[in-house]
Amino acid sequence: MFKNKNIMITGTNRGIGRTMLEAFAREGANIWAHARKETSEFTENLKHVSEINAVEIMPIFFDMTNSLEMKQAVKEISDSKKTIDVLVNNAGIAHGGLFQMTSLEKMRDVFDVNYFSVLELTQLISRLMVRQKKGSIINIASISGLDLKAGNCAYGTSKAALIAATKVLSYELAPQGIRVNAIAPGLTDTNMTVLMEKKAGDAMVRETALNRLGLPEEIAQTAIFLASDKASFITGQTLRVDGGM
Amino acid sequence: MTNIEKYIQSFTAAFDIEAEQCEGLEYQGIETWDSVGHMGLIAELEDVFDIMMDTDDIIDFSSFEKGKEILGKYDVEF
Repeated sequence: MFKNKNIMITGTNRGIGRTMLEAFAREGANIWAHARKETSEFTENLKHVSEINAVEIMPIFFDMTNSLEMKQAVKEISDSKKTIDVLVNNAGIAHGGLFQMTSLEKMRDVFDVNYFSVLELTQLISRLMVRQKKGSIINIASISGLDLKAGNCAYGTSKAALIAATKVLSYELAPQGIRVNAIAPGLTDTNMTVLMEKKAGDAMVRETALNRLGLPEEIAQTAIFLASDKASFITGQTLRVDGGM
Repeated sequence: MTNIEKYIQSFTAAFDIEAEQCEGLEYQGIETWDSVGHMGLIAELEDVFDIMMDTDDIIDFSSFEKGKEILGKYDVEF
């Protein structure tokens, strides 16, 4: 489905990002695989995924909150003269805590990674997409950004901001042929979920109609759909992938 | 092609105008140089001169003349 397409995915070293990397590669996409730091495990995985799918996977390293590093990385992509057909903004950090127990510094940290850095990267990459007059941008948000509840003053509000930005950007970039959508995963079976308080996690699972955690592959398949031409008339939407809540 | 020729060609391509119309042109001075057209022009210039402009410079890029001054920051000489 994505043969000869180039896709950039942030946060591909673990969790949903890693699964998306593998899923897009299976669909034939060449991938700019972002991670904050290079590790031997990451490099080995990219090599493995590249070989078994016969696609090109290009590692790209930068801290999402480091503007200079980010610009250098995007310049590298620009210099490659390859198109960027899809950007998946997946990298993010989780945080849970009551408002009265969350420092402003922590709120800023969460917003820096989950919101401002996403906007900055999207600004840079969308300028490359404007040249080709086509592209698809997918923001990985969260149901926490839609169903704002206690304990979500940092993470949930940062994802709510991202969902709002998705709508705005969809209007602004549509004239350039660029679609912008978001996915709001429910509780998904990743390392991030393991960090969650067990009681809260169990309660969330009980709330779902399907009564289970989501699988990273289920999020990845949604991203593949939104990135594909099958979703050519879909923009500005936030798609819940939450097992029914 | 000289830099000024590339510069003018970026304007003519982005705004669908003749080369003679470029001199003295200002942002929103013609219908096609609106905010959407502006991003098209920036994409064209970044591609032609192989540069990546800062957001502040994109905002300051208010006219044909001002653009030449801004591109100077990226070692594009006219």
